Amino acid sequence: MQRRDLETAAASYSYLRGLLFIPLGGLFILAALGNWGVGPLRHTWAFFVVTVALGLVYLLINRYYVENYGRLSPSNRQQVRAGVAVAIAVAVVLGGSLLLRSRADWSLDLPVNALAVTLALVMLISYGVGVGLKAHHLIVWGALLVTGALPVWDGADPSNIGLVLAGVAVMISGVFDHRVFVDTFGPPKALHREDGDVAA
Amino acid sequence: MSPPEEELVLDRLIHEPGRLAILTVLSSVRDADFVFLQRATGLTKGNLSSHLSKLEEAGLVAIEKRFVRKKPNTNVALTAEGKRRIARHWEQLERLKNLSEAVDLGEPRVSS
Repeated sequence: MQRRDLETAAASYSYLRGLLFIPLGGLFILAALGNWGVGPLRHTWAFFVVTVALGLVYLLINRYYVENYGRLSPSNRQQVRAGVAVAIAVAVVLGGSLLLRSRADWSLDLPVNALAVTLALVMLISYGVGVGLKAHHLIVWGALLVTGALPVWDGADPSNIGLVLAGVAVMISGVFDHRVFVDTFGPPKALHREDGDVAA
Repeated sequence: MSPPEEELVLDRLIHEPGRLAILTVLSSVRDADFVFLQRATGLTKGNLSSHLSKLEEAGLVAIEKRFVRKKPNTNVALTAEGKRRIARHWEQLERLKNLSEAVDLGEPRVSS
């Protein structure tokens, strides 16, 4: 490995544990289905149960990564950067959605899918700054950006369709991120670990 | 008058590729466990363990042994001295590289 690969190993570990994005994408889709009142999801309790199930799936996937790839604590600088990035991302998605299309007086009221556009932009910037854009990021998030920016979203509120599209994009991007992760750190059982590790 | 050039000396303990890899990975995090270090450096369990022992003896890393979910877990972090030494080592390598490039760009030597 080169110096840069070694120095960015921690960032790759944090960004590319892509399977964690599958329950997150599921949450996006669940939110849309709940808003539409599909089947039992029209009941609050059903929505809550599925959300908890997705949370458990997230924890199991996280455990898989910790057991097979270890754990690390980011440096203070990285933690501050991550906190600032999340705050900016939330502000961009909320502010951008209000600016592009909302009932606010100052809204541009464009016939676009504001959620899809803003989320795609945030993800492209986030990956670009964090680990560098891979081909699948450009394809998946670029496709979401273009789809959301097409002037065909006039009429009914496109927020729920935006949530479904975003959920699918998050899941697909996550699967490809995981492939890059395995290419970088090796297949899960490659270490032939016994019980735990070997202390120095 | 410019200050005299600092002597270019590579730290032999750190220059070994395995130890250089370990310290470089650790320089980008607050701490990391044995399994992550093994994944990030590609070292075998025995090699990593041996290198960590040497680095701990030299006071460059601090090792904490603990149990996570009833399994032994070794957590490693750079000490202040380790941070200083790895940063200085990479500076020295950069200087060496720049020096080598400067020599390559210089006038070709003419042999008589």
